[in-house]
Amino acid sequence: MNAIILSALLGVVMMFASVFTENKIAIRNIAIFGLLILLASNLLNIYTPYSFNVDLHNMLRFDSFGLFFNSIAIVSTLLYVILSGSDIVKVGNYPAEYFALIFFVLCGVTILSSYNSLLMLFLGVEIMSIPLYILTGSDKKNLKSNEASLKYFLMGAFSTGIMLMGIALLYGASGNFNLEMIREKTSIAEFGILAPLGLLLIFISLAFKVSAAPFHFWTPDVYDGAPSVFTSFMATIVKTAGFIAFVKLFSLRMADLGPSYAIILPVIIIATLLVGNITAVFQQSVKRMLAYSSIAQAGFMLFALYTSNDLSTEGILLYAAAYSIATIGIFGILIKMKDYTFDGYNGLAKKQPLVAATNTVFLLSLAGIPLTAGFFAKYYMLASALKSNGSALWLVIVAVLFAAVSVYYYFRVIQAMYFKDGDAETTEIDGTFKFVLVVLALLIILIGINPSILLRWYYF
Amino acid sequence: MSAIQIIFWFLSALAIVSALMVLISKNPVHSVLWLIMVFFAISGHYILLNAQFLAIVNLIVYAGAIMVLFLFVIMLMNLNNESEPQKNVWMRLAGAVSGGCLLMILVSLVRQAIEINNKVAEMKVGDIGLIGNLGKALFKDYLVPFEISSVLFLSAMVGAIVIGKKN
Repeated sequence: MNAIILSALLGVVMMFASVFTENKIAIRNIAIFGLLILLASNLLNIYTPYSFNVDLHNMLRFDSFGLFFNSIAIVSTLLYVILSGSDIVKVGNYPAEYFALIFFVLCGVTILSSYNSLLMLFLGVEIMSIPLYILTGSDKKNLKSNEASLKYFLMGAFSTGIMLMGIALLYGASGNFNLEMIREKTSIAEFGILAPLGLLLIFISLAFKVSAAPFHFWTPDVYDGAPSVFTSFMATIVKTAGFIAFVKLFSLRMADLGPSYAIILPVIIIATLLVGNITAVFQQSVKRMLAYSSIAQAGFMLFALYTSNDLSTEGILLYAAAYSIATIGIFGILIKMKDYTFDGYNGLAKKQPLVAATNTVFLLSLAGIPLTAGFFAKYYMLASALKSNGSALWLVIVAVLFAAVSVYYYFRVIQAMYFKDGDAETTEIDGTFKFVLVVLALLIILIGINPSILLRWYYF
Repeated sequence: MSAIQIIFWFLSALAIVSALMVLISKNPVHSVLWLIMVFFAISGHYILLNAQFLAIVNLIVYAGAIMVLFLFVIMLMNLNNESEPQKNVWMRLAGAVSGGCLLMILVSLVRQAIEINNKVAEMKVGDIGLIGNLGKALFKDYLVPFEISSVLFLSAMVGAIVIGKKN
């Protein structure tokens, strides 16, 4: 509860910050300070049950899974703001409002990690999405940004409508919004098609939010059109929060969708992996490649839905952390590049050896090379699939093959940086930026050597 | 025949006649005005059923906000008799068939519903439509979503200003 209330309040604080100061550095520092408070209050929430004592009527439930994910999301946002904060304030004329919107998104994220009622699921998804439509279109003079924003808004509105329809059907079948009550009442097979259909509609809407194929069509355009700083935020914290909501809703209810669910999910996983990886191979722009790679990574995260055991729960948390940290780093560097194509990276290693080295670590992590966090994230996902169901072997083999395909396009960037001659033009890179990059790379290697460093906090 | 029954029949007749006029009148603006009449008649029914709050909300939301939106759209698009696109026979037939299907379902639903067979609507009893009960539900059972939706509106307002303000 701490994180929900405080993130909303901090959003208001950021709004008022713009009244008192025009200084962009000061605004960024206020945001960083606010995120530190948010992190502290969330940690406090783990050890002392409720600091804000509110009668929740069982609409929200705070378990270690949700609170731990909150910590991951807040730390990722903190790293993101420290790394790219100076670029956020450059996007437009309302730097403080952008941070306010980011805090509101965090409020939505914290609701999604703790909802126990379909009403709260709906509110969380909306609070998370609406600020994003604005952030996508925040570069007002840029036609591509406007187009992306409108596209995202219209598609998002439709997916919201589909989710509402699903919630209405589930309510019709069970007479309740509460997840446990729904679980209890619809397990009797007397409601026929209502409950499975409602679940399917919610499934479609959430699959849209996490850009799983075939609901991924908005992703490349929106990620490409949005200002790069905000793409970084959308592709990491927001996407992983969507998966947490997904896992919370579906982890125990797969069987209720009937035997068709056992067919739907593998098809969606393979389609997502296929579309993401194969299309990413043909991209010329690194930003667009990253958009498709985020679809491909979503395919791996969907494995957490395919199985429901302790390995997949740990795996999705580990994946959220590993993927967020690496992607924030890559986007942080991308924002500094003047040319977003692969050729723009030519010869970066000679001009900025440290930046190129850290970028290599991030790319290796996304590709899932051992000794990086990405390897264990993928390993946990695939291992959980094998653990719960021996016949999932073919699915795991397909996933590994696609992971091998992904190595190709991640290594193209590394190849451009190290083995091609060129003059990679960057904007000014200061010491703090490099320092944060090194911290991010160290985090990835540390988690990659010993993932229990991260996961033991989950059981703490 | 008591006063309440007289009012009931009057409101029912008003609602049906106005609804027919919505369909019959050629001028779209007149249609909208007749539709507002329908909403007023239905609000009257709500009051008869002791649901004052619903009656007021029905007026504010439908007759107030949505109908103004309708009028704006009609005036902006400058719809009138001359500019109305020609409807061919098939369009009319399709409309009649789909409308007839809806009517059939409604009639059969009312006929089959056991609970409402041979019963008269109860006037002046029941308090489910009163504002006190709504307030209790909102501020007791649904307090958390009610408060949290304020964050949603706040973020939408901030967004509207960020997008809409001139640089």
